[in-house]
Amino acid sequence: MTRKKKERKGYESCSGCGVCLLSCPVWYRTKTMSFTRKARAKAIQGGATYEEIAFSIDSCLLCGACGTACPEGIGLADLNIHQRQELNRLRTESPPWYPGETREPPDSGRNPKAKSLLLAGELLGENKDVCATVIGLLGGADRTALALDDGRDIARFMEAGLPLGPERAERFIASLRPVCTLIVAEGLLHRPLRKWLPAKKILGLGESLLSSGPLRSHLGPEDLYIIESRGYHADHERLVLFYDRLRRETGCQTNLDLQRTAFSTGASSLQGRKDMAAAGCIENAKYILKGRRVKRVVVEDLADAEAFRLATDVPVVHLGLIGSKTREL
Amino acid sequence: MKIPLTENNSDKKTSGQPDSLWSAVGDQTNPSRWDGVQWPSFVKYLGNRGIAVHEGRSDSSVFISDAGGLAHGLPHGVVRPFSSEAVSEVLKAAQAYAVPVTTRGGGLTTEGESIAFGGLLLDMSSMNRVLEIDPAGMTVRTEAGIYWHQLAETLRRDGLDYLSAPLNLTSSVGGTLGVGGIDINSPRLGCSADQCLALKVVTPTGEILECSERENADLMERVLLGYGQFGVITEATLKIRTFSPIVMKYFYYSSLRTAIEDLQLIAREDAADYSGILTIMDRAINLLVAFDTGEREREFHLRWRKQLRGHGEANFGLRAAGYYFPRPWKFQEASYLLGRRLTLFPEFTRPEYMHNNTIIDRTVVFSRAVWKFWGGSKMVIPDLAASQEKFIEAVERGNEVCRKYFRHYTLYCVGIKLSNRRERYEMSCIPPDARDIAFGCEFEPMLRDTNYSRDYLQSFKNEIYDIGVDMGLSYYRFGGMMKGYIRKVFGDVLVDKHLAMKRKADPAMILNRDVIF
Repeated sequence: MTRKKKERKGYESCSGCGVCLLSCPVWYRTKTMSFTRKARAKAIQGGATYEEIAFSIDSCLLCGACGTACPEGIGLADLNIHQRQELNRLRTESPPWYPGETREPPDSGRNPKAKSLLLAGELLGENKDVCATVIGLLGGADRTALALDDGRDIARFMEAGLPLGPERAERFIASLRPVCTLIVAEGLLHRPLRKWLPAKKILGLGESLLSSGPLRSHLGPEDLYIIESRGYHADHERLVLFYDRLRRETGCQTNLDLQRTAFSTGASSLQGRKDMAAAGCIENAKYILKGRRVKRVVVEDLADAEAFRLATDVPVVHLGLIGSKTREL
Repeated sequence: MKIPLTENNSDKKTSGQPDSLWSAVGDQTNPSRWDGVQWPSFVKYLGNRGIAVHEGRSDSSVFISDAGGLAHGLPHGVVRPFSSEAVSEVLKAAQAYAVPVTTRGGGLTTEGESIAFGGLLLDMSSMNRVLEIDPAGMTVRTEAGIYWHQLAETLRRDGLDYLSAPLNLTSSVGGTLGVGGIDINSPRLGCSADQCLALKVVTPTGEILECSERENADLMERVLLGYGQFGVITEATLKIRTFSPIVMKYFYYSSLRTAIEDLQLIAREDAADYSGILTIMDRAINLLVAFDTGEREREFHLRWRKQLRGHGEANFGLRAAGYYFPRPWKFQEASYLLGRRLTLFPEFTRPEYMHNNTIIDRTVVFSRAVWKFWGGSKMVIPDLAASQEKFIEAVERGNEVCRKYFRHYTLYCVGIKLSNRRERYEMSCIPPDARDIAFGCEFEPMLRDTNYSRDYLQSFKNEIYDIGVDMGLSYYRFGGMMKGYIRKVFGDVLVDKHLAMKRKADPAMILNRDVIF
């Protein structure tokens, strides 16, 4: 017998237990093992090339649940993006849902001075009404300013595994340095922001809005609360306790499964934004609703609102609007 | 359609070949890869009937091994059925073309039983719908490829739960019913197969049959604990119950014998809703008991607690310190025990799975811990199943073998209440001389950081299984690579009886042919 060196926890460490697929919305919908994280690991262990498993790499919605579920502690969230990067190097044609040419936001100067900065992302950033309400709930513009550069293009390129110019990332990071707290609606940015700015407090929209009492009082047992999965899984150890407390205190139902991973509709993925039905987001929303008795769906992520609106007649409302009866989405 | 004549070579008795029941004990009976001459015609035939056979490497490589990680084989192709009718078409064609078919659910076998060494692999995980929940009758009808965890996810939304299932998230219902299925409530409720009320089965010749105690009862008895030999389970009706979190209590022992005696007392007297033994070698022996209700817990404390000889954790810790302090040469062992205590135990009390000191999702908690602390790319888990009377000796002898081969290992012991359905227990993990209750012990070495040779691991398994032959016991995992033991432990008369039944039910010997026969 020989002692084995401690290896990096990559796909080669996958023992094939399959726990990751139990939280995978793609597997639930397709019922096809070859679309799963486990299958990709096993295929590569067995000598398959990235091109041979391109369909599987492309099918991933990057919700991050598999990484949280993995008992081996394999960094699956980063690995999924890494595989997309490797695949991009090999292929000439990209899937139709890939972002087009880089459209960096113009340098619009320095962010307004405030304690916190809201990085609204694409959907919330474009919905001025909801965005203004959210900023109001976060203490108003004096306390929480809207970031002029919210890194939405960075998130899109990261998700597609496309290369990003170093100047672009540097400019983005520099714009965030003056503030203490970043409230980031786009969950995919949580992980890199923690790496780039380790001293900053990075919060999701749900956590920042629900940390004060008033909004919590509007949640009850007949609400189905949809946690934004990417941000949640990026800081799971901490947030699982936050949302567990929320569930106990308000009685609301959530999209957490028995493993306490957030089952995702995938609506905020690139595939979902291109074609929600084809990406399976509506089916995933229906699965989350199945067997539940709910009178309202409350979403953290505006992309989820659309998926649930197409999946159910139950009113769907953004977390920022739950205090207002007339402001269903 | 002209069906080509093919030679049925399943009667060969050469060591190492399929149907190699005569192989020498000690051999690893990995079957040779099926040659596949008739494969293209078979695929074409199924394609014409609307059944897609996936032949790409990306489709088959996920099935290259099982949880054991010691056997490796690839199918020629994979079918993901979505109905019993599709399974029926596959099996009819497989009979005609003599193509071996391997069924796979969660792939949690450890001896290669769910690996296809050529031929077709039926990936049953595609049949995972919950068909009907009957809260009044407390039953659920489900497709059998579903994992117990998926079933729990669905049932939980109605405040319901299954009765008993393996403590593993990715065990499938069909696979479990085919081998038994042991939970820590099995001393009280029996194995998972005994919770089954009805089945839909596709026979090896492609007939679709409903079976229950009243309808096709013989087939039901053959299929439950039948190791996939007599049909593919496509649907199952199972008993369910109201969900309840559990209160778990731990008692610590330094003697295996004493701990097992107490486990047997608990099982015999129905003193707890759940019970089992989990050890760190034979140094820290943990008897766990759990309760569904406060009332049961109170009754336990009133009537039975004083009879148990186990200690609380603090008391046991002091005793262990007293033992190791004057024995500095055992520092490494003490350090391992302490490290295991510090890393493993918090997993059982993670706050997200606890509420008011109760464990909310016991299967999630245990399964995650199992994979995190015992899992790995290779796992060997030989086991012994014994009657109450023989169990202690069996475990003690198995423990000596573990000590001889490995520095670190775990024993997991649990009771299994027996039902009156004796027929299904024949040639199964239930030992023939067990009455009312049987006990099983898994012997699991910690392989994580060390590459042992396959021969070394096989020798270890053989020594454990030789105890079974010597004492007239049975095993949970006697198929696949360990099938050389089948005749030794069950005897020619019984095996020939089952082989004759198999040949009658499966003329071309195509279904899971390398598992038992």
